[in-house]
Amino acid sequence: MIGRVWTLYRFELDKAARRRFTYVGLILIVIAVLSALFMRPLTREGQGDYAFIAYATPIALNLLGLFLLVTYCSGLVSTELGSGSICLALVRPVRRHEFLIAKLMLGITYAAMLTAAVAVSAWGIALAFGELSGVTYGGETVFTAVDMIEAYLFGALLVLAPQAAVAAYSIMISTLTRSTGAAIGSAVGILLMVDIVKYPLRIAPFVFSTYIETPWNVFMSYCDGLDARWFPAAAYVLLTSIAYTIVFTAIAILSLSRRDLHS
Amino acid sequence: MGVCIQTSHLTKRYGSILAVSDLSLDVQTGEIMGILGLNGAGKSTTLYMLSGLVRPTSGSIHVFGKELRQHFLSISPLIGVLVERPAFYDYLTARENLKLSARLARREVTVDRALDRVGLLSAGRRKVGEFSTGMRQRLGLAQALLLEPSLLILDEPTSGLDPEATGEMLALLRQLAGEAQVTILVSSHMLHEAEGLCDRVAIIHEGRLLSCERTDALLSYDERHVQVLVDAPESAAKRLSGQPWLESVEVRAGRLEVVLREENAHQLAAFLFTAGYRVTGVIPRQRTLQDHFLKALSR
Repeated sequence: MIGRVWTLYRFELDKAARRRFTYVGLILIVIAVLSALFMRPLTREGQGDYAFIAYATPIALNLLGLFLLVTYCSGLVSTELGSGSICLALVRPVRRHEFLIAKLMLGITYAAMLTAAVAVSAWGIALAFGELSGVTYGGETVFTAVDMIEAYLFGALLVLAPQAAVAAYSIMISTLTRSTGAAIGSAVGILLMVDIVKYPLRIAPFVFSTYIETPWNVFMSYCDGLDARWFPAAAYVLLTSIAYTIVFTAIAILSLSRRDLHS
Repeated sequence: MGVCIQTSHLTKRYGSILAVSDLSLDVQTGEIMGILGLNGAGKSTTLYMLSGLVRPTSGSIHVFGKELRQHFLSISPLIGVLVERPAFYDYLTARENLKLSARLARREVTVDRALDRVGLLSAGRRKVGEFSTGMRQRLGLAQALLLEPSLLILDEPTSGLDPEATGEMLALLRQLAGEAQVTILVSSHMLHEAEGLCDRVAIIHEGRLLSCERTDALLSYDERHVQVLVDAPESAAKRLSGQPWLESVEVRAGRLEVVLREENAHQLAAFLFTAGYRVTGVIPRQRTLQDHFLKALSR
């Protein structure tokens, strides 16, 4: 099974590399990082320009990045169901759940690419035009440049967990309809609706989207010269995201395996 | 020759609609079996179930002696499938589409050979989005042939093809069945194509199997319906009318079209000869698939 999933994943990567939308998303997110300069210009002050990175990263990833990820993943299955190209893959010796797992892996890869694009552009701008020698307070170095890089990298790794849940959620919606427009509309709409009602209904701690910003909290605290701990917040992020990823993927597999496929 | 496909009480229901009902069918290895029927008869649903794309509501499918769903991973590389209106990744070239398809089967194949077989070698580097319906159909067949399958399942393979391409495709299918002993299961509502292609034909109507017979048996000569080449056909027709062994007679394109009550063409020839006509030919009409099809539907 692992061999077949890997083959399918490479199959998906090959297709993604030839799709324009893959690159449009990456370009848009870099533009979002550049736009953050207008809101939070580089300062070259004692705290360095980590504040710019701490501002630009969540803004780009959690607003535009989330939308791009949902849009991208919502189209992964529905487009193939709509055009009938899914038959091209599923008449070959692959199982439907393997096909979906490969799609999820592509979704996570895309999320990682968005995060990498944000990281490279934000750090690149700060490095080229700002100052990144650590965070100082009263002339004393509170966090070194290495501390800051470590906090950012750990955040970037951790954010993959809620992003995986978002990808699984979007792919699940994508298996329920043949229309890409309907899949994107439903995925974005439901996500927005849940975000609006989760606090009044006091269900926020149990909703995966609550934890999308959490991975950057430590880095943001460091930027302010404040110490912060990864746990237990990181554990919440991981557990909730993994649980939701499993549930959404299971629903998607159930939905696709029961579906009759016509051209 | 063994059994390649065996379906037993195969049924597919879409909600309240019964698409295929209790279909039990055997396809022998190396034969070309046609599934004929009107639009919506259940032909495509049957082929999609045999391809693993549609789940049967009940019944079983055995391919190469193995249950299809259980052994799909080992059976599917042996099957080439052409769905009706095949869809591809439009942003990829024809070659790239085939390469990706072959990669899923984890086989090293020569894409060019498949493209060449369907006459698309020169268009291999063009994006599929630029292809016409006929070219897509041919690419669909190339994709089905890619892994040199032992069984081909083809849903309306000539749909969208011009007459020349249709002829080429039918010739290719005959060649595959003849030389490579590929078993071919093909659906069509083009009876004249099936007539020249299929060894056996199954007629499906409203999801039910009406008949399944050898094509050569169906295309036998009907000695009750005869054409007579005779001098003075108008006069001969007048002499013939009213004979008790004759059902009808008419002159069409300078020939007598005669329907006899029984298969006794010799009596007709003897009568005309005795009456002084010069008979140069008595040709029994060959039955067509259409005759059989309409008869099966009217039952």
